[in-house]
Amino acid sequence: MDAVVFEIGLALGLIALVGLVSEKFRFSVIPFYIIVGMAMGPHMPHFGILDFRFIESYEFIEFMGRVGVLFLLFYLGLEFSISRLLKSGKSIVAGGAFYVGLNFVSGLLLGWLLGFPLKETMVVCGIMTSSSTAIVAKVLVDLKRTANPETEIIMGMIMFDDLFIAIHMSFLSGLVLSGATSVGAILKTSVFALAFILLFIAAGRKFMKYIDAALEIKSSELFLLTVSALLFITAGLSETVHVAEAIGALLIGLVLADSVHGKRIEHMIVPFRDFFGAMFFFSFGLSIDPMSLGGAVGAAVIGVLLTIAANSISGMIAGKIAGVSNKQSANIGFTLVSRGEFSIIMASIGKAGGLLPVLQSFAVVYVLILAVLGPLLTKESKAIYMLTKAVGAKFRRAPQE
Amino acid sequence: MLVKEIDLPGIGRKFVMETKAKGKMIVIVHDNGTRELYIPDPADPDERLSVGSFTDDESRKLAGIIGGMAYKPKALENLDIEIDDLVIEWHRIDPDSEWIGKTIGELKVRQTTGVSIIAVVEKEKKNIVPGPDFRFVGDSVLVIAGERQHIKLFKELLAIKA
Repeated sequence: MDAVVFEIGLALGLIALVGLVSEKFRFSVIPFYIIVGMAMGPHMPHFGILDFRFIESYEFIEFMGRVGVLFLLFYLGLEFSISRLLKSGKSIVAGGAFYVGLNFVSGLLLGWLLGFPLKETMVVCGIMTSSSTAIVAKVLVDLKRTANPETEIIMGMIMFDDLFIAIHMSFLSGLVLSGATSVGAILKTSVFALAFILLFIAAGRKFMKYIDAALEIKSSELFLLTVSALLFITAGLSETVHVAEAIGALLIGLVLADSVHGKRIEHMIVPFRDFFGAMFFFSFGLSIDPMSLGGAVGAAVIGVLLTIAANSISGMIAGKIAGVSNKQSANIGFTLVSRGEFSIIMASIGKAGGLLPVLQSFAVVYVLILAVLGPLLTKESKAIYMLTKAVGAKFRRAPQE
Repeated sequence: MLVKEIDLPGIGRKFVMETKAKGKMIVIVHDNGTRELYIPDPADPDERLSVGSFTDDESRKLAGIIGGMAYKPKALENLDIEIDDLVIEWHRIDPDSEWIGKTIGELKVRQTTGVSIIAVVEKEKKNIVPGPDFRFVGDSVLVIAGERQHIKLFKELLAIKA
């Protein structure tokens, strides 16, 4: 047991170190947490007493990672608001639908190309359709684009994407985690999960008064404990009715988002999301054999190309619908390319369901490429747009000359 | 004036103000408390130029300054409040003004200008409603009340250097 505390300390130290390094180079920290996890994983060689593999603490770190998913999804729920989405306007809903549709189709295409079975393909679709809210928001703030008109379209579309993530995850949890094999059984569990979600939200709305009153707690300590209790109990109860605990966390987040205490909860939960979220990415890395990544590179590269294509097209369509300039439309597509936390969560569902391990390797390489490439594409979207325009003009002019 | 509010989930909230001068001012209130000001880029209509970025503390100060709340009459040359025709103003007396060393009675301030001196704020003390034998000293601030044309006359007299 003595080694556990030290190992966790070592893990945190390494996570913090790579985090600082990636921050310095202005990269997203998420892939770096995964990489350092991989480097410390049980698959790595060890040299006598210099054993950096996290053997004793593995289970504990894994549990903290599991808690990380709960906090990540709880936060997603808190940030999401259906009324906000409806308020955001038709153009965003239409643009978001195209975005989700095209990316989903590119997932189907990749799954088919790789000859994946249905379950694996569905997970791939999830991985490829989950934009990283964290990376996108950070890049837009860094590039000082928050005031640009297309930014509100981008963030609206991300909200739509978040809605997709929620629905797809509940579908996946029915498909992958329940162990159902026949189409009927899969459909039944998925519908059940969806019904559970809707019922839960409806109940939450109905009892909002009482929730608000119950959370009228002055002491921040007791407030924190009450909210955490709500989160863990809901997640745990969901598990017992065969709805993934992550969905439970998302649900309670969605319900509490409408509470008058929403902002206070959000504020309070952020450090937990950051801490346990980092542990999640680290533990995801731990579970991956770095040697297996090579086999996923080809698939990931095709996936990346498909994603960039799907994003460019859907960005253009969304921009057209919203009535912004072509240059701004290019910004939309390229900004949304970044992939991160939710793709990894999708992959971890595949892992929990015992699907092909190549899914995890694929997710790591795919997220790694797009978490680095996405911000670069966002930054240079104007240059890329000008370049493609110039090339296009050349091609169009060529036959006449 | 039109102020449009737009949610930017994951970032914060955006406020777009159309000003009278046909300009646009965009304020982003970030979730972490930072405020940013933007204006449209005159060179490129698709882009926004960052005017400045302020911490929560700085934003409050800035808001106070713009809103006229961070006001300290002592430090200012003049300030006015208008209630219908009555104007109240703050004026500083230069150390080389002709008035220094003379009393209100000697100068016949009210008889000649029509303006009443409500208070004189000196460095160390405040004199509320000073009498005719009050003697002016340099670098004090006069709080005066009167109508516009009277105040104009008062300012002309006050400006005469010794």
